[in-house]
Amino acid sequence: MPSADRPRLVLLAAVLGAASALTLAGCSSTTPGTPDPSTGSGASAVDITMTSGGSGDQCAASTTTVAAGPVTFTVQNTSATGIIEFELLQDQRIIGEKENLAPGLAPVSFTVTLDGGKYQLYCPGAQKEFTDFTVTGKAAAAGSSDTAALLAEGAKGYAGYVSARLSDLLDGSKKLQAAIDAGDIAQAKTVYAGTRQFYEKVESDVAGFVKPGSSPTDNAGNLDYLVDMRASNLDPAVGWHGFHAIERDLWKNGRITDDTKKLAAELVENVTTLTDLSKDLTFKPEDLANGAAGLLEEVQSNKISGEEEAYSHIDLVDLASNVEGARQAFAYLEPGLKKINASLTENITKQFQNVDRVLAAYRDANALGGYVTYDEATKKAAANTISQAVQALQDPLSQIAQKVATAS
Amino acid sequence: MTRERAQAGGVPRQGVSRRALLGGGIAAGLGVVAGAGIGAGGVLGYQRVSAAQADETIDLRQSHPFYATGTRMPQPGVRTSPQRYCVFMAFDLASGALTRDLQVLLARWSAAIAQLQAGKTVGAVVPVSGVGAGQDTGEALDLGPASLTVTVGLGPGVFDDRFGLAGRKPAKLAELPTLPSDRLDPALVGGDLSLQACADDPQVAYHAIRDLARIARGTATVRWTVLGFGRASAGPDQTTPRNLFGFKDGTRNIESDADFQKWVWAGADQDWMAGGTYQIVRKIQMNIEIWDADDIADQQKIFGRTKIAGAPLSGGQEHTTPDFAVKDAAGRTKIDMRSHIALAAHENNDGVKILRRPYNYTDGLNQYGQLDAGLLFLVYANDPDHFVRLQRRLGASDLLNEYVAHVGSAVFAVPPAPAEGSYIGQPLFA
Repeated sequence: MPSADRPRLVLLAAVLGAASALTLAGCSSTTPGTPDPSTGSGASAVDITMTSGGSGDQCAASTTTVAAGPVTFTVQNTSATGIIEFELLQDQRIIGEKENLAPGLAPVSFTVTLDGGKYQLYCPGAQKEFTDFTVTGKAAAAGSSDTAALLAEGAKGYAGYVSARLSDLLDGSKKLQAAIDAGDIAQAKTVYAGTRQFYEKVESDVAGFVKPGSSPTDNAGNLDYLVDMRASNLDPAVGWHGFHAIERDLWKNGRITDDTKKLAAELVENVTTLTDLSKDLTFKPEDLANGAAGLLEEVQSNKISGEEEAYSHIDLVDLASNVEGARQAFAYLEPGLKKINASLTENITKQFQNVDRVLAAYRDANALGGYVTYDEATKKAAANTISQAVQALQDPLSQIAQKVATAS
Repeated sequence: MTRERAQAGGVPRQGVSRRALLGGGIAAGLGVVAGAGIGAGGVLGYQRVSAAQADETIDLRQSHPFYATGTRMPQPGVRTSPQRYCVFMAFDLASGALTRDLQVLLARWSAAIAQLQAGKTVGAVVPVSGVGAGQDTGEALDLGPASLTVTVGLGPGVFDDRFGLAGRKPAKLAELPTLPSDRLDPALVGGDLSLQACADDPQVAYHAIRDLARIARGTATVRWTVLGFGRASAGPDQTTPRNLFGFKDGTRNIESDADFQKWVWAGADQDWMAGGTYQIVRKIQMNIEIWDADDIADQQKIFGRTKIAGAPLSGGQEHTTPDFAVKDAAGRTKIDMRSHIALAAHENNDGVKILRRPYNYTDGLNQYGQLDAGLLFLVYANDPDHFVRLQRRLGASDLLNEYVAHVGSAVFAVPPAPAEGSYIGQPLFA
């Protein structure tokens, strides 16, 4: 296929025909958008129209200059098959957007309050993707509703969530050690099942740490390896440590040995180190988004297969915790994300509810960790349904990072 | 395969020759299972093979338009000359999906199919910001359109009480009745939506299905799928290919405009279906290893045709009209009345014809360690009952039944192609 057929990665100097609407080619004789009388709110109106043309898909705006204040963008894809979304950008940050655009669908609109300054209209896939958009004057102080501030606040709040879970993890590890030292297998199993969740909720945020002074490629200092390594990926040079080695002793071997006690002591030591290293963690909004998507990847790659908890079969506990961790990250972004893309936010909320609904069928208050054992029979009956529900959540969730990314 | 390579490689074209060669390589790789059948014909049929028709050269730059340029035009992928590869996938609409979700899905699918058939991506492979997941998965970049067609079907479930479309249900659209010899696996039955993606490059077809399934996520879940690796039907300018039993199949397919009008294109039972058609999908498992041990005379008797030339046992060449009455010296009809062609022939079924657009498939090995393969039998008709009538007879008496099992089944309404600026099924929501 000639590269000219693939316009989306190439910005072409567009020469667009004159149309009643100003094309996004950057015509300079723009007239300020007029307040839309139909809304009665004094919002300026900008119509975005997408059409197919001989030289590629076109994206046209009714105006490229508006006065500061509320602005309503009404987006209609008339015939452009290559354009799926429209974004309003400032300094590469998304201020507002519409997705799921396709020819034949009714127009969709969103309203944002804009300060004076330079913006860009972005139509990914159009022959000319970016067009400058100017807002004149100043808007009333946006205050706490400013999207970037909301996102930053969410990221700060999430750091608190992560450190609280690590502190829970440390408490649980100490209780596990106590039960093992006391030789109480039943109690140790209960504590194990109750403690795993804390790591699974924040795993994607803390998986990258190594012991001070050790090399990132040496598993002997890799805290994720030392805390959470499964049988399937062992490094013979370092041996097996952490939760899953203890799991093997409790469930497969069915007894507590001196080795088990050593493993439990080590676990407490390593989780302590991890907690210390994580103390001053700070997050950017996109870290939350990537972390949430990462947790769902964990679900799909290790939990659905039953590989994570090969002996205790409490995979559904881990799985629900991954989902819960992702939900928390999303919840902290939600106030800001809603302003950027209300329908995406709504869809993700809906998909979280759907996953909850699917998982609810496997809840069992009497089972270890609160979910039925993920044995072969359960896996056969449940894996497909759970996996498809999680995938339907993972897809929109994986779109968040680029929406909330801060230009820095 | 040799001939294909020579032709593809012998026509140096800027930008496509590498792909043309690669296409040949993939076909050669995928053809391992089919090799037994092709090889058997190859030795004796060498002369004929080398004189094959020109349609065997594949130009991967070719594309089919998606949008209708007139009224009552069918979607591509029905009358389109069969491409070499095809992927079928059936979906269920997710619980909680709203009418609006279905509408957005059909609109996004339509736009995406228009892009894909033109050899373009569905959104960016790499987001311009460099952050986040790409919209298009990217594995079809640089492969060309490869004559891709994607055909969308609406199952009976679309017209139940979920989407307010019950009043628009075509009278002829209903789940197929239980048919003789059905051995359906519940996991391979039905679906609310279907996609048939056919192309001359298997990765182009697979990419289309993969990215369209991605668009559907949240609105529809995957129900079942079949990967067809080789075409088993011919268009008017193509030679008749062979099924995995090694026989030419579909010699007497629908070809003329009159027959398409009479048997394929739907009338105005429902306004929105005029110019559309119905898609019947059967996954037919073939016990090829058992078949391979069957005596050649018995094989020919079962089909009612000779294996290499595909001529009816009543005499003549492949395209000679079979004579179901002519008898041998012993007074038996030369073509057994229970042979596949006798039972399927329109002469013996009140004139009923169906458009067959099947593909050979393989699923690796079955639980007994045997080759798991068969026919993805895609049928188009203006009344699904036409298929039902034929299959009632075939399922009850066909000598072939010993070697085949219908394990998957579904039926879909295929609306006509949308005009530019519209989408498949849009009139349903008006």
